[in-house]
Amino acid sequence: MGKCLTVNLSTKTLKTLDVDKELLLSFMGGRGLGVKLLWDLVPPSTKPFSEENILVFAVGPLTSTPIPTTGRFSIVSKSPLTGGIFYSSCGGFFGFKLKNVGFDYILVEGRSSTPIYLYIDDKNFELRDASHLWGKTTKETFKILEEDLGKDFSFVCIGPAGENLVRYACVMGGYGNFAGRGGLGAVMGFKRLKAIAVKGTGKPKIADEEGLAKALKNFRDRISWNPVLDKALAYYGTSALVNVINEHRILPTKNFQLNRFEDAENISGETLKEKIFVRRRSCYNCPVGCKRMTKTGSGREGEGPEFETLASLGSMLLIGDVEAVAEINYLCNDLGLDTISFGGTVACAMELSEKGLPDARVKWGDAETVKRLVVDTAYRRGLGRWLAEGSKIFSEKFGFAEASMNVKGLELPMYHPDGVFGQALAYATSNRGACHLNAYLISVEVLGYPYLMDRFSPVNKPSIVVYMQNLAAVMDSMVVCKFLGFEFDEETFANLLTLVTGKTFTQESLITIGERIWNLERVFNFKAGLGWETDRLPSRFKVPLQPMLKEYYRVRGWKPNGYPTKNKLKSLGLNVEDEC
Amino acid sequence: MKVPKEVYEELKDYCLRIARRGYVTAHGGNASIKSGNLMWITRHASSLENLKPEDVIQVSLEKPSSFDVLASLETIVHRQIYLETPNLAVLHAHPPISVALSFFMDEMIPIDTEGYYVLKKVPVVEGQPGSLELAKNVAIALKSYYAVIVRAHGVFAAAKYMDIAYQYLCMVEHSAEILWLTEVLKKSGLTLHKPKKF
Repeated sequence: MGKCLTVNLSTKTLKTLDVDKELLLSFMGGRGLGVKLLWDLVPPSTKPFSEENILVFAVGPLTSTPIPTTGRFSIVSKSPLTGGIFYSSCGGFFGFKLKNVGFDYILVEGRSSTPIYLYIDDKNFELRDASHLWGKTTKETFKILEEDLGKDFSFVCIGPAGENLVRYACVMGGYGNFAGRGGLGAVMGFKRLKAIAVKGTGKPKIADEEGLAKALKNFRDRISWNPVLDKALAYYGTSALVNVINEHRILPTKNFQLNRFEDAENISGETLKEKIFVRRRSCYNCPVGCKRMTKTGSGREGEGPEFETLASLGSMLLIGDVEAVAEINYLCNDLGLDTISFGGTVACAMELSEKGLPDARVKWGDAETVKRLVVDTAYRRGLGRWLAEGSKIFSEKFGFAEASMNVKGLELPMYHPDGVFGQALAYATSNRGACHLNAYLISVEVLGYPYLMDRFSPVNKPSIVVYMQNLAAVMDSMVVCKFLGFEFDEETFANLLTLVTGKTFTQESLITIGERIWNLERVFNFKAGLGWETDRLPSRFKVPLQPMLKEYYRVRGWKPNGYPTKNKLKSLGLNVEDEC
Repeated sequence: MKVPKEVYEELKDYCLRIARRGYVTAHGGNASIKSGNLMWITRHASSLENLKPEDVIQVSLEKPSSFDVLASLETIVHRQIYLETPNLAVLHAHPPISVALSFFMDEMIPIDTEGYYVLKKVPVVEGQPGSLELAKNVAIALKSYYAVIVRAHGVFAAAKYMDIAYQYLCMVEHSAEILWLTEVLKKSGLTLHKPKKF
């Protein structure tokens, strides 16, 4: 099938290799491929900030095809925030360009002694000095690289937060696109890899072009008939969710102490559209166009904010002003911070401040101080030095661990678990920590796609969570946008994969690949110290988690301690010798 | 967005009635009530047999709202009906005989007395569920008629009161059943005797 590029930053050696076909068949690409490489090359006890940790940038078999949303890529590494395996998916055009060079993945090993960036085009690849980029914001970095190399290139880069090893520094993968969570930007920063520039002009081969064209006619029609994809996301972007989630009393407010925000209307999709909306923006080959360019009254402009950011920097901090939230978001984007984790950590600080902790001086609703804290965090100054560690370490330092809303060290996304039991279970069991994208139960517990389930009932939720987690692992490995899950399932994806690759995929084989990826991640995490005791929710929540967890382990074919049984691993073709 | 108790009770009552009549499947059909410049409509994928307060969504008639994403897929059709006709209540269901007959005709003219006197004619229109094309076709038909059949899909009935919309919906299916039975009996060899005064 394809090729890969391996880059050793310590020795400055680059080489291309053929990719093992069996590897692609078993783990697909994207996230799955990265997870397998991490398992093969990095002992689970490896420190995230060490030369031994690796970074994998991977595309999938559907990347750069005419199938909508296939410009994405995945990044996999060991997270400095959770200490576990981590994968993050990113939109934009970088994946599309990388696939067009002919690479299935880039494997980055070692650590450079000086700032560098990786240059790739159709014929050449090399490491280049990045001294002139070090210290620059993401926006400045993109601008300089674009001026130097031309607009035909796509880039990923980190900002000062990544350089300063903020544990939740993100990777920017095109302007306004982020591999946001888990601090993979800090891993790049540790390796002193400021950016990757890529320009590929080739095209991947498609086994059955005619068949694919026919299938895509129906595929596009279905997108245009789906109210979430064609109407809500197209009209408001993800901000459409603010009012909806608030009215269901699941909008995290005041660090999850409340589930409804009185000022939600002021940070809603409607208000965003009225006050700061400039234009829509799309990733590669996406008919949905959920991205939003915005501009505030003070003349500042940028990308977003998305729903998660409106809540994490809005309702979570009691900031009921869309312009203030947008400006904090622009700062996070420029400096390279994950807005969910930053918002969650500042909310934690606000709660501790309210409890009277003298060192955490930040009040609810104080947008100006929050703006200052973004900068302080990115440069690790003052209180920002501790905020940069994430809410778990921050709260533990101040002796109030219960104020950190995290699972496995990753701050919770913006759906209050008490009102969505399935989503709560998905948070608790996600391999990368509290995550909504590993199984988006909001789709069935709130939006009714493809069906509507009782959100307060635990019945059948473990089975649905398992199914959705496996499907999400496959979608991250193909690599496609999760929004497609509002309309399509493994049946459609199996058909598209068959048409593109010429290999026969079935619904069952696809879900098995997802299950294989999920189980390998689980084993890695156990060996890295993230065992069953980390499948938990903060004590603040009142979800009946234990009975659901017990059933979840059983449905997964795991032992009562949450570790996969020998038979399960064997049936998935995973050769794991010892047990936990 | 909390639904007023009386609105919820009314929708719950009539949704349960059409479900019990077998006019919808477990999660099919939808209903709405207009109130000024907004409407209350059943939630996407909700069960009309067991409608809960959370299953009634408030949607603006004048502009899209973020709550549209929760509302029935056919919200666009309900909105168009309210914008183009003076109706205040809309019911949409999938009564099987009306749907079956829609494959064979472009309009249904009831042959039973009650159906004929009240409905006169029930047009059959087409359009993809949830599409603007369907919304326009249905709204135009409901300017002149009390109910309309969407080919291969279902029936929309609209009126000033929910009870009357329900009556129209039931009449469409009843008339369709009479028409179908008559055709079956004719084909079995019986002679049709049309009433002398209709």
